[in-house]
Amino acid sequence: MKQKVMDFYEKHYRKLMLISIAIFVLCIAVIAVHHIKTGEFIEKGITLKGGSLVTVQLNTPVDVDAIQNELRKITPEDITVKEFSSSAGAQLGIIIETTSQDATFIKDFLNKNHDVKTINIETIGPSLGESFFKQAIISVIIAFILMALVVLIYFRLLVPSGYIVLCALGDILFPWAMLLLLNVKLSTAGVAALLMLIGYSVDTDILLTTRVIKRQGTTTEKIFGAFSTGVIMTLAAMAATGIAYLTTPSEVLKQIMMILFFGLVADLWNTWFLNTALLKSYVDRKKEQQNG
Amino acid sequence: MVDLKILKSGRVIMLLIFLLLSIVAIYPNPWAKGVAIRGVIKEGPAYASEMISPKPTSAPMTREVINSVNNIPIKNIEDYAAALQTLMPNVTAQIKTNKGSYRIIPQYRFEIFTVENESVFENRTSEVYNSTLNKTVNVTELVKVPKRIKKYKENESLDFGLSVYNAPKSNLRLGLDLQGGTRVLLQPADTVTKDQLDNIIQSMEQRLNVYGISDVVIRPVNDLEGNQFIRVEIAGLTEEEVKNLITSQGKFEAKVSNKTVFMGGTDITYVCKTAECSGIDPSQGCGQSQNQWFCRFRFAISITPAAAQRQANATKDLQIVSAEGGSYLNETIDFYLDDQQVDSLRIGADLKGRPSTDIEISGSGTGLTQQAALNDALQNMKKMQTILITGSLPVKLNVVKMDTISPVLGKEFVNSTFMMALMAAIAVILVIFIKYREIKIALPIAITLVSEIVIILGIAALIGWNIDLAAIAGIIVAVGTGVDDQIVITDETLRGESQVLNWKERFKRAFSIIMVAYALTVAAMIPLLFAGAGLLKGFAITSIIGVSVGVFITRPAYAAIVERILKGKY
Repeated sequence: MKQKVMDFYEKHYRKLMLISIAIFVLCIAVIAVHHIKTGEFIEKGITLKGGSLVTVQLNTPVDVDAIQNELRKITPEDITVKEFSSSAGAQLGIIIETTSQDATFIKDFLNKNHDVKTINIETIGPSLGESFFKQAIISVIIAFILMALVVLIYFRLLVPSGYIVLCALGDILFPWAMLLLLNVKLSTAGVAALLMLIGYSVDTDILLTTRVIKRQGTTTEKIFGAFSTGVIMTLAAMAATGIAYLTTPSEVLKQIMMILFFGLVADLWNTWFLNTALLKSYVDRKKEQQNG
Repeated sequence: MVDLKILKSGRVIMLLIFLLLSIVAIYPNPWAKGVAIRGVIKEGPAYASEMISPKPTSAPMTREVINSVNNIPIKNIEDYAAALQTLMPNVTAQIKTNKGSYRIIPQYRFEIFTVENESVFENRTSEVYNSTLNKTVNVTELVKVPKRIKKYKENESLDFGLSVYNAPKSNLRLGLDLQGGTRVLLQPADTVTKDQLDNIIQSMEQRLNVYGISDVVIRPVNDLEGNQFIRVEIAGLTEEEVKNLITSQGKFEAKVSNKTVFMGGTDITYVCKTAECSGIDPSQGCGQSQNQWFCRFRFAISITPAAAQRQANATKDLQIVSAEGGSYLNETIDFYLDDQQVDSLRIGADLKGRPSTDIEISGSGTGLTQQAALNDALQNMKKMQTILITGSLPVKLNVVKMDTISPVLGKEFVNSTFMMALMAAIAVILVIFIKYREIKIALPIAITLVSEIVIILGIAALIGWNIDLAAIAGIIVAVGTGVDDQIVITDETLRGESQVLNWKERFKRAFSIIMVAYALTVAAMIPLLFAGAGLLKGFAITSIIGVSVGVFITRPAYAAIVERILKGKY
C-alpha cells in the first residue's frame, strides 16, 4: 500500500502540482473578477466600513425575507437580514446589517411588529471602520513578513523558504476567494482568523521542509513520513474548526472558524502537492549539481 | 497498565503544579449561592449603612455576597427581587453577607434633581482650631448650598440602593459579549496628551461613580495608525444612560448675580497645584454635620484681565454686609459644573468693583469618616483644577463605536460555546484515535488538551483577563496547535528512522519543529496586539498565552509521558 502510493506520487507529482497551481490561479481570478465588478477586493462587513449590526432574539420564528423587504421600504441605506440558528437548526433570531449609523428605526419597527426577546446593537462609525480596514491590511502584511523572516532564519535557505511563503499565500487566497463566492462579509474577527492562518497553516510546510532537508533517507520516504504526520495534524484541526463552525450560533466565531477551515483545506494541496513537488525538484536539482 | 513512575518526572510534576495553581486561581465553586454586590448607590440606604462598592478590578470571588435578607435565604437574583417586595417602609431590615451583617432602612429608589438658581441654607458644624484659645472648638455656620430635590419612585418596591447580580461561580470574568452590557469606544475630537487622557478618564470615572456604577472599566487605547481611543465597558446599563453619562463634556462657570464672570479654560491663566497655594483649607479644616464629615479645600488661580474686569463690573453695584466677623458682598459667587451648582462662596468686601486677577477657589468634599471626606475633598479639588485648566474635559469625545449586548443572548452564547468546545475536542481526539488506534496515545493527548485549557483559564483568572468570544476562539486555536505539536512529538518518536537515535535526540528533533511553529504563531499575532483599537487584543493575547503554555508546560510533560509509555514498545 505504502509503496503503491509512493510510486504513484513519484510518477504523477508534476500533475498534482499543476492542480494546486490551477486552484491558486483560479482564486486570484475570482478576486480579480470581483474587483472589476465591484471595485473592491473584499466585501467589507459593518465592523470594517461602519454602520450598525442588530442582533435580535425573537420569541416566534419570523420570515427573514419579509422583514428585509419591509425594512428596505423604510430606509434608503443598505440593509440585509439574516437568520441565525442553534446547532439543532431552530431559528434563534435574526441579524440585521445596515450601513446606517442609527439603528433606532430597526428597533422601533421590530418592537412594533414582532415578538422581540432581546435586541443587541453594535454601531461603528465609518471613519473608524475605514481605519480598522487599513490596519487590517497593514497587520496582514506585517504578519506575513514576520512569518517569512522566521522561516528564513530557521532554514537559512532562500529557495525552500520562498516555497513555504508561496504556500502560505495560497492558504490565504483560498478562504479569501471562498468568502467572495459565498458572499460572506469580512469582519474584524475574520481578519484575526486570516492572521492566525498565516502562522498556523505553515506548520505542515515547516514539518515537510525540515524532514526533507535536515534528515537522512530517500526523498520520497521522507516526504511520505512527513505526509503521514502532517495530514493528521491538518485533519485534526479541520475537525475542530469544522465542528466549531457548525455548532456555534455566534457570527464572530462562525467567521473565524470558516476562514480557518478553508485555509486548512487549501493547506492540504498547497503543502502536499505544491510545496512537496517544488521541494522535490529542488532537492533533485541539488543532488544532480553535487553529482555532476 | 498505568505506570505511576510517570509522576516522578520533573516535567510532569511541573504540569501538575501549574494545574493546581490554575485551579486555585480560577477558584471554581459551582454551588455558589446568593447575589454579589456590583455597586452601592451613593446616598442610598446601603451607602448610609456603610456598605462599600467593590473595586471593578477586584477578583469576582472576593466580592461581597448577600446570603439573606431578614433571614430569608437569598439564592439568586429572583430571590433578592422577591425579598425586596416584602420590605416595609421605615422598618429596619437585616442583610447578612459573607462579610458581615448590616441593618438598613429601605427606601424607595430616587433620582436627585438640582434646582437651578435656587439655594438653601444649611447648618454645618465644624471643628476649627482656634489659635487664641489653642484648642479645637465647634463652630456652627450657615452654609449656602444648591437646593436639591430627591424624587422617590413610590410606585416601585422599596430598595436598599444596591445593584446586584447572581453570585459568581468562579474567578473567571466573562467578556461583555458573554455577560451582557455596553461597550463604548470614544475618540477625542482633537489629539490629547497622555496626561489629558488620564484626566479625562479620571473625571469620567468620578461621574460614573456618583451613579453607583462601579462595574465599569475605562481604558485608554491606541492603535497602529496612532489613533487614541477611550474604551468604556459597563455591565448592566442601557445604551441611552451610558451615552448621556459619558459624553457630556463638563463645563465650569463662575457666576455672580447670575452673570458669568469667568469660565474654565479660556479665562484662566494659571491654576496653582502646589502645596503652598492648594490643598485642604487650614483655616476651615474638616468638620462634622449631622452624621457626615466634610472637608473644605481651596486653591489659588489667576484669571485674565478681561475676566477680572467682568468680575469688577458684576460686583461694583453690590451692597456690603457684615456677617460672622467679616465684611462681605450681598451676593455670592456661584460655581457651576455642567450647569449644576457645585459651590457658593461669599465675596470679600475689598473685592467690590476691583478687577483682581488673583482669586481663591474653594469647595468641599463629604464622607462618612474624616478620612473619606478628606479624600473626597482632594479628589474634587483635583477635578475642579483639571476643569479650570482645560475648560472641561480637555476635548469633546465622539462615540465611534457602541455595542450593547443583552445578558440573555450572552448566556446562550456561553452555553453553546461550552458545547462547541466540547464537541470540537471530541472530534480531535477521535481523529487521533483513528490514526493511532492506541488508547495509550489518544488518552495522554486528551489529558494534555484539557490541562492546557485549564491552565489558560487559570492565567486569565489570575491576570483578570476577560473571556470573550474572541478569547475563546484564541483558546481553540491554541489548543489546536497544541494537538498538532503532540502529533509531531508522537510521530518523531515512533518513526522508523529515528529508532537508531536515543530518546533525547528524538525529542530534540520534534521540539525544533515545534519551536518554529510556535515562533510563527506568535509572529502572526503580534500585529493584532496593536491594531483595531485593541478590540482583538483578547484573541491575540489568549492565543499567545495558549501556545506559550503549550510549548513550555504541557508539551514537555506530554513528551515525558510518551517516553514512559512507548519506551518498552519501540
